[in-house]
Amino acid sequence: MHSMLNHAILILLLPLASAVVIALFLRKRGAVASWLSTGIAGAIAAISIILLQHGERFESSVEWLRFGTFSVSLGIKYDDLAALMLFIVGFVGFLIHLFSLGYMRDDQARARFFGGLSIFMFSMIGIVLADNLFMIFIFWELVGFSSWLLINHYHEKQSAADASKKAFIVNRVGDFGFLLGIIMCYWANGTVNFTALGQNHVFSTAIPLLLFCGAMGKSAQMPLQVWLPDAMEGPTPVSALIHAATMVAAGIFMLCRINVLMVPQALEVIMWIGTVTAVYAALCAIVQRDIKKVLAYSTLSQLGYMVAAFGLGSIAMEHGEHKMVIAAGVGAAMFHLTTHAFFKALMFLGSGSVIHGCHHEQDIFKMGGLRTKMPVTFWTFTIGVLAIIGMPFLAGFFSKDAILYLAMEKNTAVFALLAFTAVLTSFYMVRLWKITFLGEARSDEAKHAHESGLVMTLPLIILAVLSVAGGYAGVYGKLAGSVAEMIPEAHGSAHTTILLVSLAVMTIGAGSALFFYKSAATDTLEEKFRFGFSALTGLKESFDKLYNYYVAKVQQRFAMVLNFLEQIVLAGAIIRGLAGFAGLVGYGARAFYTGSLQAYAYWFLLGAALLWAYAAGIF
Amino acid sequence: MIPLLATTPVYGLPSYLFVSALLFAIGFFGVLLRKNTLVIYMCLELMLLASTLALVAFSKFNGTLDGNVFVFFILTIAAAEVAVGLAIIVALFRKRHTVQVEELNQLKH
Repeated sequence: MHSMLNHAILILLLPLASAVVIALFLRKRGAVASWLSTGIAGAIAAISIILLQHGERFESSVEWLRFGTFSVSLGIKYDDLAALMLFIVGFVGFLIHLFSLGYMRDDQARARFFGGLSIFMFSMIGIVLADNLFMIFIFWELVGFSSWLLINHYHEKQSAADASKKAFIVNRVGDFGFLLGIIMCYWANGTVNFTALGQNHVFSTAIPLLLFCGAMGKSAQMPLQVWLPDAMEGPTPVSALIHAATMVAAGIFMLCRINVLMVPQALEVIMWIGTVTAVYAALCAIVQRDIKKVLAYSTLSQLGYMVAAFGLGSIAMEHGEHKMVIAAGVGAAMFHLTTHAFFKALMFLGSGSVIHGCHHEQDIFKMGGLRTKMPVTFWTFTIGVLAIIGMPFLAGFFSKDAILYLAMEKNTAVFALLAFTAVLTSFYMVRLWKITFLGEARSDEAKHAHESGLVMTLPLIILAVLSVAGGYAGVYGKLAGSVAEMIPEAHGSAHTTILLVSLAVMTIGAGSALFFYKSAATDTLEEKFRFGFSALTGLKESFDKLYNYYVAKVQQRFAMVLNFLEQIVLAGAIIRGLAGFAGLVGYGARAFYTGSLQAYAYWFLLGAALLWAYAAGIF
Repeated sequence: MIPLLATTPVYGLPSYLFVSALLFAIGFFGVLLRKNTLVIYMCLELMLLASTLALVAFSKFNGTLDGNVFVFFILTIAAAEVAVGLAIIVALFRKRHTVQVEELNQLKH
């Protein structure tokens, strides 16, 4: 028995207990529910830090179900990867709970919201600690459920209800592939335990690619990216927690967990899907008007970055005198995942603060001039923007450079596309920043904007500190342990090249946005390059249109044919036919029941005579 | 096996079986044709006793005890059956004020 195992079990069960208590007893008492949920989140953050600091790494499992030779076990695998992810989930989760206390103060359904956050924390921690694929799948579905619940928070709004259904259904498509992958992995290897797979497994391209389908759904990679922008219908803290920092990153985390199963062909596919998603989402982000939609596409793009980094795979590094191969893809992806969790949660919470301050106005062209009205939000958001565009000495700079270096070493085309994405990233982020915060207030809401209270600004400040410090070896090395050692580091001339490229892309993107956009009520791009603008808008809508066409014209018609067959053959001929036949027999047999005792005696006589004849062998 | 009766019977086995069959037929037609439940019940008893007569005759002419054992069982069961059957008829009369079968025809479709 490991001394820290109890802590790990506790951290998993605490949020479940919180969710159950809220669901059963506190539905009408929003204030108590919110404090309970936040308190539990604080405890989770504390325990995750204790576990991280203690340094012990362990795994343990118990058998849960057994059918013949097939068994499902539940277990906890707490290694450096889990420790890092648990810290992100626990700590960022706690800050977002804290922020929600302020943001959701006037909400009628506060208890449901905080109960949802608790059940999400439970499911997410389950994914992080799971030691086998079946267990990950169970919690994978649970985060899908909590995501559905929380996107649907404003369920009286049709768009929110639609968005939650879309998120759930699109995720089902990915999860179907994931489940097939798990089953195939079990079939081929006889186990789905990560440690056992690491020791011995069958080489296959199909298994990692099917498992990647799950990541494609959860981390919203092409072509299943359509749900994430719509998911912004949920409350902003939910977007920060689930759709920026943790759940969407679960796909990348899961890929890192199954890194041992990867083969070059699968990695190649993963790399290209990530790269295409990164470029596509960055292009879409340029034409968004909604502050949260810009951040959503930015999240998509950054997730594409991480997936591409993972797909780039391992690299041979000169380490002193000997060369060694390190899983640089895992290192770079997890590094970027961490820094992204900090600065994207920061920016989402910042946008939540802006939306809260502007009385639920989300259109950036109706904002402006918030720099002086919301100083704390402005400065922390600025740090977030600088971190994501890769300003030197901020967290995003280090993690992005690691990915760009890896791409430069492995694949020039991917490197070029990722560098182009970095240009676009700085372009749209500076656009967002300038239009929202600079210039004059352009609407009554923005004129009467006010800074949020301390309970909302404190998480912003802490996340801003992490967005600055999170990239340094002193901080990240402590958090990630051996995962930090897998980060590819450029030396010599490669180092200079990467630094120059990184600075160049940031300056080009940020500079052109700074000069091009005015903090005005209309989109400068729409005015000056109408064609380019509509092309980008069309690009954004093309997937939705395609899927709508498919669902309405292909799938719906196929379903109608099936429905027709079901009505005629199954329900009509077989089910109604059998019932009708039985009824007919019954109708005939009913004639025998005359109610006359002596008629029955005659029937009895006849029966006895027949029995006798049969026994005597007459027929 | 020791014979049950030392004397030779005056009539042969067919005579006993004929009487038994006659009694059975009388009972059976009584069940089919009579309208009073009590009489039908008596006719049923008559059929039962016709079969016991046949069994006793078999026992006598085969020289075994099998038939007699059967008769003891049948008498025991018949006593129990009478107790239940008469109780039902009495209960029926109390409820419906009649024991005529043509009026007891509620149990039908």
